[in-house]
Amino acid sequence: MSASTGFLPLFLAAGALVVATPVRAQPQIGEEGTFLIRGGTIVTGTGERIENGSILIQDGRIAAVGANVQAPAEATMVDAAGRFVYPGMIDAYTPLGLSEIGGINTMNLRSELGEFNPHMRAVVALNVDSEMMAVTRANGVTNVLTTPSSGVISGQAALVNTAGWTWEDLAVRTTAAYVVNWPREPSFRFGEPPSEAQTRAAREQAERETRELKDMLRTAQQYHRAREAGSTEWDQQYESMRALMSGQTPALVSADTEEQIRGAIALADSFGLKVIIYGGNEAWKVADELAEKAIPVVLGSIMSTPETDEPYDAIYAQPGVLHRAGVKFAFSTGSAANSRHVPYHAALAVAYGLPADAAIQGLTLWPAQIFGADDQIGSIEVGKLGNLFIATGDPLDIRTQVTDVFIKGRHVPPDDRHSRFYEKYNGRPKGQN
Amino acid sequence: MNRTGILAATAALFCLATAVSAQDVAIRNATILTITNGTIENGTIVVRDGRIAEVGSDVAVPSGATVIDGTGMYVLPGLIDAHSHMAIEGGINEGSESVTPEVILPIRDDDNTIYRALAGGVTSALLLHGSANTIGGQARVIKMRWGREADELVFEEAPRFVKFALGENVTRASSDAPDSDRRYPKSRMGVEQLLRWWFTEAREYEAEWKAYEESNDRNAVPPRKDLRLQALVDIMNGDIKVQAHSYRSDEILMLMRVAEDFGFRIWTFQHVLEGYKIADEMAKHGAMASTFAENWGYKVEAYDAIPHNMAIMADRGVTVSVNSDSGERVRRLYQEAAMGMKYGGMDENEALKMITLNPAKQLGVESRVGSIEVGKDADLAIFNGHPFAPASRVEKTLVDGVVYFDREQAMTLEKLLQAQTRVTTEDDR
Repeated sequence: MSASTGFLPLFLAAGALVVATPVRAQPQIGEEGTFLIRGGTIVTGTGERIENGSILIQDGRIAAVGANVQAPAEATMVDAAGRFVYPGMIDAYTPLGLSEIGGINTMNLRSELGEFNPHMRAVVALNVDSEMMAVTRANGVTNVLTTPSSGVISGQAALVNTAGWTWEDLAVRTTAAYVVNWPREPSFRFGEPPSEAQTRAAREQAERETRELKDMLRTAQQYHRAREAGSTEWDQQYESMRALMSGQTPALVSADTEEQIRGAIALADSFGLKVIIYGGNEAWKVADELAEKAIPVVLGSIMSTPETDEPYDAIYAQPGVLHRAGVKFAFSTGSAANSRHVPYHAALAVAYGLPADAAIQGLTLWPAQIFGADDQIGSIEVGKLGNLFIATGDPLDIRTQVTDVFIKGRHVPPDDRHSRFYEKYNGRPKGQN
Repeated sequence: MNRTGILAATAALFCLATAVSAQDVAIRNATILTITNGTIENGTIVVRDGRIAEVGSDVAVPSGATVIDGTGMYVLPGLIDAHSHMAIEGGINEGSESVTPEVILPIRDDDNTIYRALAGGVTSALLLHGSANTIGGQARVIKMRWGREADELVFEEAPRFVKFALGENVTRASSDAPDSDRRYPKSRMGVEQLLRWWFTEAREYEAEWKAYEESNDRNAVPPRKDLRLQALVDIMNGDIKVQAHSYRSDEILMLMRVAEDFGFRIWTFQHVLEGYKIADEMAKHGAMASTFAENWGYKVEAYDAIPHNMAIMADRGVTVSVNSDSGERVRRLYQEAAMGMKYGGMDENEALKMITLNPAKQLGVESRVGSIEVGKDADLAIFNGHPFAPASRVEKTLVDGVVYFDREQAMTLEKLLQAQTRVTTEDDR
């Protein structure tokens, strides 16, 4: 299917001299250019559907969209007849770019020492040549929120494109959110049940971390106010938190239980923070309050199992419940290897009650809005980055093929680790064993 | 109703299936994906004594049968998971020594993964020993008769299976344990030699017994019984079939050659993420493959995994299934199978076979399950749409003609919310 024809050997008629053709090296992320995508059905992501529409991409951005688009003479035509054009999908929580092969410590440096690291920036450590990133974009996932991990404040998550020459080229928002892990008692789900002493120690640790988190925010608030008032005293950590304390950049708080979610909301209230809930397995229990306070949720992987005492479909059905309550949400995988399959998380939500249109929004416009990047990505609108894909059908349908991917106006060739191995071994002469 | 009350209600619903006994059932007006005989539109399936009695578009509903309206529904053979660790009592690894085929997994009937698997249309599963040992313990094949006791979960006709494992897990390569805590083998090279050593021992053991049994010497002393060596003899004789955890093409090839040297074959390679590199050799050996659709890169030996693995192996004549190896994926095996169409262009029926007929073959129970045919067990999954369509979910699952999962009866998030709303309203009054 998808691999570039540049890798196919050229066979000539018997008797003719076989000329070895050099493998055409394609720039892995494609060239920027002027493209006119025409003939397809455009699903703009803003609720509009344009049949037989055209999109002009110029200077990395969407220059025109509509039924009648005039293209300059130099535009490269991209035929989308019979196919569908969607805004690039967004995985709203993944280690993509920071993590590669699991189990290899040096390929998974997502965590700094210590519990409080608001100054750590994921963006500066992104590997633009991650094989997993290439696989991700091939399925139309053009943007991800890459997150640092562990501790109470892990650091700053970056909202990035999934193709680019440098991390600066990747970045859409270098600090899209501060990753906060609501202190929780470590899970004893596996193995022996904990002793009373262990349970107590775990609870005390969570309480201590919560106290320390509040202390740090209090100091950061004072620091921020002093700086606003003209103080020249400088602290690396507190300086890094000013966008958080001013409410400009949100805290993405990992919280699953009702208690944790309520804790995060109360904290946001008391410090005037902008907050996003991440994970949120029990967000449905707090849905009305989240809606009232306009607190969005980055859903944890839908491909996970509810607690034993929850309804069997609790995680599948939650997005539908949140949607009805008026809570804005985004889908995420939490995975680098399978960030590409974020639409199939959304598909499960549709099977259990979420309207299909809302699922598409949760993969495109809503995450863009949640991370304050809807001026750049999330829909097919003039002025936004040329981040979109062409597909044979509904992207929620696993059978759909993504045929073309554009990122930052580059027509990114479908060349990745998987397609390369597929070409090689699908082409192995049969029966030679 | 308070929360405890709701939980009690949930528990009661879980138990409902056990109260239902097998009787004539007719599923009417459904789209039937038979797997072996194409698709039947507006079809009817009649179930009698737990078996499929009739299937077709022109089948009458017997009087007195419980009728399930299949309008708008798709009926599949119950899905089969060829790699699971659910419903196993205690640990899944006898991690002491590297060769322990005498061990047999004990079944545990109260693992609610069974119920959740049913809710994903799964009706049978192969429960495997873990991958800590080069030759691990013996497997169990179960049917999802949720609510029944462990003995009644056993799929009676299934043959005996044993787990083999290769690569990183058995060599404990990725373990942080100090060298002193490690054990032989520590390399893929060692795994081969360990296998050859044990099967040579087993061959000698078999010869000793044969000599004793054929001996005319009345005073001959029988050789000492050794359950481990006897299990290895049973493996060589094909009485216990091998399910081999594997990743890389080199180790897959190695194991096939070792097996051939000792006169047996590898029944099914599990995981087999690099099977696509060596599919012709597998087909020639006669090994089947049970793999993941999308899992890759979670360790070094999984870095060359590609989602096209299923399509390439199938194209070259290997019987391929896609498995869960997880209490999560088992709930949506149909999504995994659909990947076969996306990556490498499998046709729809081939993709559906990967969760029905092919795993049935790998579990050795294809005469009983895996397709919708007269005479086979009435293990059926009823979806509200095509199983590969994005908005589809399982509505009902039958095992032996008994409805063990019914979404209408199940506690769902929606029903829980409605119950809570009712409680709140009553409180307000």
